[in-house]
Amino acid sequence: MTTLLQNLVDGLGRGSTYALLALGISLIFGVMHLVNFAHAELITVGAYVAYGLSTRDVNWWVLVVAIVVSSVAASIAIERVAFRWVRDASPFTMLLTSFAIERLSHALWQVLVSPKKKSFPGPGWAFDTWTIGSVRFEIMDLLTIAVTVGVLVLTALVFRRTLFGIAVRGAAEDFDAARLMGVRANRVIAGAFAYAGFLAGVAAVMILMRSPTAEPTLGADWLLKAVVAAIIGGLGSFSGAVIGGLALGLAEVFLRSYLPDGTPQRLTDAFVFSLIALLFIVRPAGLFRVATAERV
Amino acid sequence: MTDPWWVRVARSATATAMMSIALFVLAIVYTSTGGSARELLIKELLINLMLVLGLQVFMGNTGILSFGHLAFAQVAAYAVAICAIPIATKSQQLPDLPFGLGDVHLGSLTATLVGVLVALALGAIVGIAVARTGGLAAAMITLAVLFVVDQVVKNWQELTKGAGGLSGVPILKGTLWLWLAAVLAMFVAHWFGETRAGRFAVATREDEIAAPSLGIGMFGARLTAWTVSIAVIGLAGSLRVQTIGSTNPRQYTLDAAVLVLAMLVVGGMRTVTGAVVGTVVITVGNETFRQLGDPQRLDIERFPDLFLGAALLLVMLLRPGGLLGDIELARWLRRVTRRSRPVTGRVAPERSAPLVADDIEVRFGGFTALDGAGLRVQPGEVVGLIGPNGAGKTTLFNVVTGLVESRSGVVRLGDHDLSRSRPHDVARAGLARTFQNLRLFANLSVRENVTIAALAAGRYRRGEPPVDVDGLIAAAGLTELSDRQARTLDYGNQRRLELARAAALSPEFLLLDEPTSGMSDDESAAMVVQVRTTAASVGAGVLVIDHDLAFITRISDHVVVLSEGVVIAEGTPDEVRRSPAVATAYLGSGA
Repeated sequence: MTTLLQNLVDGLGRGSTYALLALGISLIFGVMHLVNFAHAELITVGAYVAYGLSTRDVNWWVLVVAIVVSSVAASIAIERVAFRWVRDASPFTMLLTSFAIERLSHALWQVLVSPKKKSFPGPGWAFDTWTIGSVRFEIMDLLTIAVTVGVLVLTALVFRRTLFGIAVRGAAEDFDAARLMGVRANRVIAGAFAYAGFLAGVAAVMILMRSPTAEPTLGADWLLKAVVAAIIGGLGSFSGAVIGGLALGLAEVFLRSYLPDGTPQRLTDAFVFSLIALLFIVRPAGLFRVATAERV
Repeated sequence: MTDPWWVRVARSATATAMMSIALFVLAIVYTSTGGSARELLIKELLINLMLVLGLQVFMGNTGILSFGHLAFAQVAAYAVAICAIPIATKSQQLPDLPFGLGDVHLGSLTATLVGVLVALALGAIVGIAVARTGGLAAAMITLAVLFVVDQVVKNWQELTKGAGGLSGVPILKGTLWLWLAAVLAMFVAHWFGETRAGRFAVATREDEIAAPSLGIGMFGARLTAWTVSIAVIGLAGSLRVQTIGSTNPRQYTLDAAVLVLAMLVVGGMRTVTGAVVGTVVITVGNETFRQLGDPQRLDIERFPDLFLGAALLLVMLLRPGGLLGDIELARWLRRVTRRSRPVTGRVAPERSAPLVADDIEVRFGGFTALDGAGLRVQPGEVVGLIGPNGAGKTTLFNVVTGLVESRSGVVRLGDHDLSRSRPHDVARAGLARTFQNLRLFANLSVRENVTIAALAAGRYRRGEPPVDVDGLIAAAGLTELSDRQARTLDYGNQRRLELARAAALSPEFLLLDEPTSGMSDDESAAMVVQVRTTAASVGAGVLVIDHDLAFITRISDHVVVLSEGVVIAEGTPDEVRRSPAVATAYLGSGA
């Protein structure tokens, strides 16, 4: 029971970071059918900005704001410089464009800063624990879950209640129709990138709180899980992305703890990816199929 | 394309020879100016070339993104290493080798063969999954496979010695074997493009609905391309380990997979020529930046990534089809070697089976699209299907051709029950269709569009006499345009091409969905002639939907009127025109 609860919190903590990232990927896929493999580079941007500021002895809470703001700004900038020009190209071209940006980002951080890891001080309390009964929770797990829930509620409100949110959902449903109804493509897409940047920024704060280091390929580890989570949920489905992220986090933690003893710990990923492959064989469109009836 | 096999082999061999000679001359010039260190780059280039060509056979022809091909190169490399490392060395490196592999020692050639076979065996399992799903899901499956293989290799200590990798594999002397293997890979890639299987794979890449409508099964076409490509990749992995003398998981990471992917798309993934050019450009560029970034100069280890990212980004932004796009050596050879061989004395076969749809019911959610509709077309007859918008005409077509499942009712071609058949089985049974929204193979030439259907006829409609591709193109008035890409044609020509393509399947019935939509009166009158001559030349009956009443009246022997999912009238065009029920449906009850 104790391990179960601990695993649950651990899994949800991991999963909610995936969920935030996956939601951003799903959102952008919804408005322009781009599977954005450069999405997690926003985490790297946030990390380097935080590292840069921390060398000037800036308070952690200022770093939090800086991380989120820089992530939003970078997201908007990437759209403006690159993705806008391939908006009408095939999904395949867009996907490879995002790969190119990911590659460039890795290389640029090495050239501009350093290929080596740069650590900076994180908040001291992150690894404190909180004991309820016989169960010990780490503060950062609980905080991650709480922040994610808050951000998701905010997201739900934005996409249900605000004109921007409705325009984005309309665009995700049928972009051409939304355009004819007076939705301005540039503004909606830029807005979607900005919001995805915000979500990635929050995820970056959660990640950097645990391990405050900046390195060129920091985003790469998170990216794959996030993309997989978004696709598991069914690209373009917002609730699917969240559930996909949580499911992936839980699957990782539970597999790790319930695989027979003697199974190398590092094989967990192999099992997770085997499960993912199986899932796509059974349900190629992901868990939540987004209606895309093709006319013939 | 319908050339005899030896012409196609000769053409593949010629294209391969021309490319090999060009590469060889470049290599000689390059190595002669810089000593033996430069031979390393040539080796790397040849290995990359095999990897890229292996990927091209699958991705270029089916259009499915794969991250996982390198996993099979890795599997082959380990298989070769485990078989080829001398027994004494092996017992030190891998003392606990399972399955009695510790006593195995194979020569280079046998080991290579084993490597390819092991890659194929594992590849077959993944291939079945990939071919079944397609699209993004297939790409994710391949990504998962890349990671699973990576993890297993890193952790199965007894077999692989873990992340450190295996060394001590006997090294092939010189570059002769590498050249031979690369030339073989080039030939296989060219040849696959010339085969029927290759053309079918391309059809599935171009349109996932049109290909089955010509009898092409998605699964088979994709699986064939996958298998051939894994064989080439297995060869690449086997030779890589025997060139370097060692293998480790760092050679087969996602980064490496993206590098190979970039080589393919930078040149143009749809063609072998593009794959070769892309490989040369990226390999040379990468090496240049590596030298620039080495410790004596800029000292930036991953400097090549800057080049790779920038090159890929520029190509995607400026030339998304790759540097060469659809420019291809083999295509050019095909054009200059083509001889027109008129099909003479073709007699349209006698048909006796009628097409019958009876009591078809279809619901979409709460909406009843078809409510017991049915019709009958006699062999050689032209039946017009008309009705107001939303009457269910296209839905009826979709039920007959297997795209939409009906709740009840029967579709029969003679004695053959097609009610539950899948689209490609319906097409093989002898129903060919066109689409309201046009589904041509957009990147292929006019001739290739028709030829693929003729190849499908040769494969799946065995009893039929060979199809006259040139004649069908001529009947569509497209002879002058036969080398143009289908997507560059104007609307009317695209419609005429789609009809020619459907007819090339040599079907018992042609189902035409609004063949004159968007056409002028003159064009529409000409369409009557094309439909009649085309159908007569392949001996097909016709079922045609159209809104143009003048067209329907002129072309049909018999007209069926559908309204709100029910047949409300039928008969000769004159009878139908006089029917009060038709006037009501079209004009409202006041008319």
